Amino acid sequence: MDIKEIRSLIDLMKKNGVAVFKMEKEGFKITLKTAVSSGSPQYISTQPLVQWNEPSSITDAAPTAAPADPVVVGIEVKSPMVGTFYDSPSPESPAFIAVGQEITPDTVVCIIEAMKVMNEVKAEVSGTVVEICAENGKPVQYGQALFRLK
Amino acid sequence: MFKKILIANRGEIALRIIRACKELGVQSVAIYSEPDIHSLHVQLADEAICIGPAASSDSYLKIDRIISAAEIADVDAIHPGYGFLAENAHFADVCDSCNIKFIGPTAQAIRMMGDKNSARDCARASGVPISPGSDGIIADEAEALRVARKIGYPVMIKAVAGGGGRGMRIASNEGSLVQGYHAARMEAEKAFGNGAVYIEKFIVNPHHIEFQVFGDQHGRVVHLGERDCSLQRRNQKIVEECPSPLMTPELRKKMGDASIKLCESVGYQNAGTIEYLVDDAGNFYFMEMNTRIQVEHPITEEVYGCDLVKHQIQIAAGEHLSDHVINAQPRGHAIECRINAEDPEKNFQPCPGNIDLYYAPGGRGIRIDSHAYAGYPIPPNYDSMIAKVIATASNRTACINRMSRALGEYMITGIKTTIPFQQAIMQNSDFRRGAYHTGFVESLLLKGVPTVR
Repeated sequence: MDIKEIRSLIDLMKKNGVAVFKMEKEGFKITLKTAVSSGSPQYISTQPLVQWNEPSSITDAAPTAAPADPVVVGIEVKSPMVGTFYDSPSPESPAFIAVGQEITPDTVVCIIEAMKVMNEVKAEVSGTVVEICAENGKPVQYGQALFRLK
Repeated sequence: MFKKILIANRGEIALRIIRACKELGVQSVAIYSEPDIHSLHVQLADEAICIGPAASSDSYLKIDRIISAAEIADVDAIHPGYGFLAENAHFADVCDSCNIKFIGPTAQAIRMMGDKNSARDCARASGVPISPGSDGIIADEAEALRVARKIGYPVMIKAVAGGGGRGMRIASNEGSLVQGYHAARMEAEKAFGNGAVYIEKFIVNPHHIEFQVFGDQHGRVVHLGERDCSLQRRNQKIVEECPSPLMTPELRKKMGDASIKLCESVGYQNAGTIEYLVDDAGNFYFMEMNTRIQVEHPITEEVYGCDLVKHQIQIAAGEHLSDHVINAQPRGHAIECRINAEDPEKNFQPCPGNIDLYYAPGGRGIRIDSHAYAGYPIPPNYDSMIAKVIATASNRTACINRMSRALGEYMITGIKTTIPFQQAIMQNSDFRRGAYHTGFVESLLLKGVPTVR
């Protein structure tokens, strides 16, 4: 099960007001707990949450739009511009940051190339990196999650 | 033909452009601000890229982000729609330098015709009548009289630094001119610290009549008739019709020829609209030019049988103006009502919010250009227009009746709209006679807002 599928699962749980989901199969076990707001209806959808036979069908139908609000554990560093994401100063250099690294608001976390200009992006927040969300060399849009911190 | 076009706009016009792209087999890329993620244009485009937060200045007007989006999506052209960057010559220049075709006129044409003074100069140079006025500031009473005599009464004395209707006086003879000249100067001095005034012809009960023009990249320019846009509230158009009730074939020929001449003189390409003020005697005066596709383009499309947005794309791709367009003749009558999310009973206060129920009218001769749908959350950050209803029929009376029928069917709940007010206009006897001018809506509103549910 990859991160995209887990994210979709969390989304579905949130949409249907499901607080806890546990699953075990073939040497794989997962427990998900969402912070369900008191205002939303507490019901469990009768439809299966995920199509287990076709994991590839868990894709959102919308075009490459920013994902609508998955449950965020921690802080996100979002893209302040539209362009191409690079995780290191140059192809030969090591990446700017790594998972587990402590960063401060002034830490340069990545480069976003826009209109032939390489823009250094600062974190603007502090925390420990738990996830690198954007792919090296791929386009990112405004507001897209680049890194997740805690 | 282009392979991919980015639409640098939102709302109904973005949808309009995406539709034209789909019919031409061109890939469409939508850009959107964060609140617009729920917008139809985002859902229907082949690709969509978020380019900023709600504020237009930080999204739809951000040239750098729009160009970045165009580059990562690898588009061949950008259609700017109307408003936003559509008449921004600098944006057109940036597109050029990035080898992305700007679907519209050249940056130079936008500059020349976008500036009111330079546009008037171009008009004067190509023999298009402009509203007569003094060449500059009036030095003294004697000059005021001289200029007024030359222009012909009635005239308007206007403060150079003026605004909000202050420092303005209308004079219909020499006596009131002298009085008005001194009064205007004094008022302007008090209000703006600058008593300088100039004089221009005052057009009584003017009609706002605009001509649709189209030029290709090979020097050919045509016009596609006129639209009457005199029904305005606070200078915002609310109902438009094609043809104009006061047009005659002779006047159309005169105004059409003048429009073509003006476009040829500046090498105008792609779609444009030339706005004129016309008095009851049929004298017309150049006001300004809009170097873009206009909101009310559908009424010209219905009467002249052309798809103007498709033609914009084709012309930009280098095609010649087709015979279909060159030989287009007007047939029948079309009216458009701009439906705004505004409360006519509360001074047209905008009411953004969620659309609850939505049922759009249909049937023969009804076209709806809208991005609205049941459940759509209207963001408060942009203009309040949510739909355009276009009625087409074989003659003006049938058209008005058709529009009235359609407005009666239109169901939009959850928000207030201007529909009841436009319905009242459709049923107004002066409007039905075709007897209205730019002051009509305001005088109607003076007696209280008429609404028909």
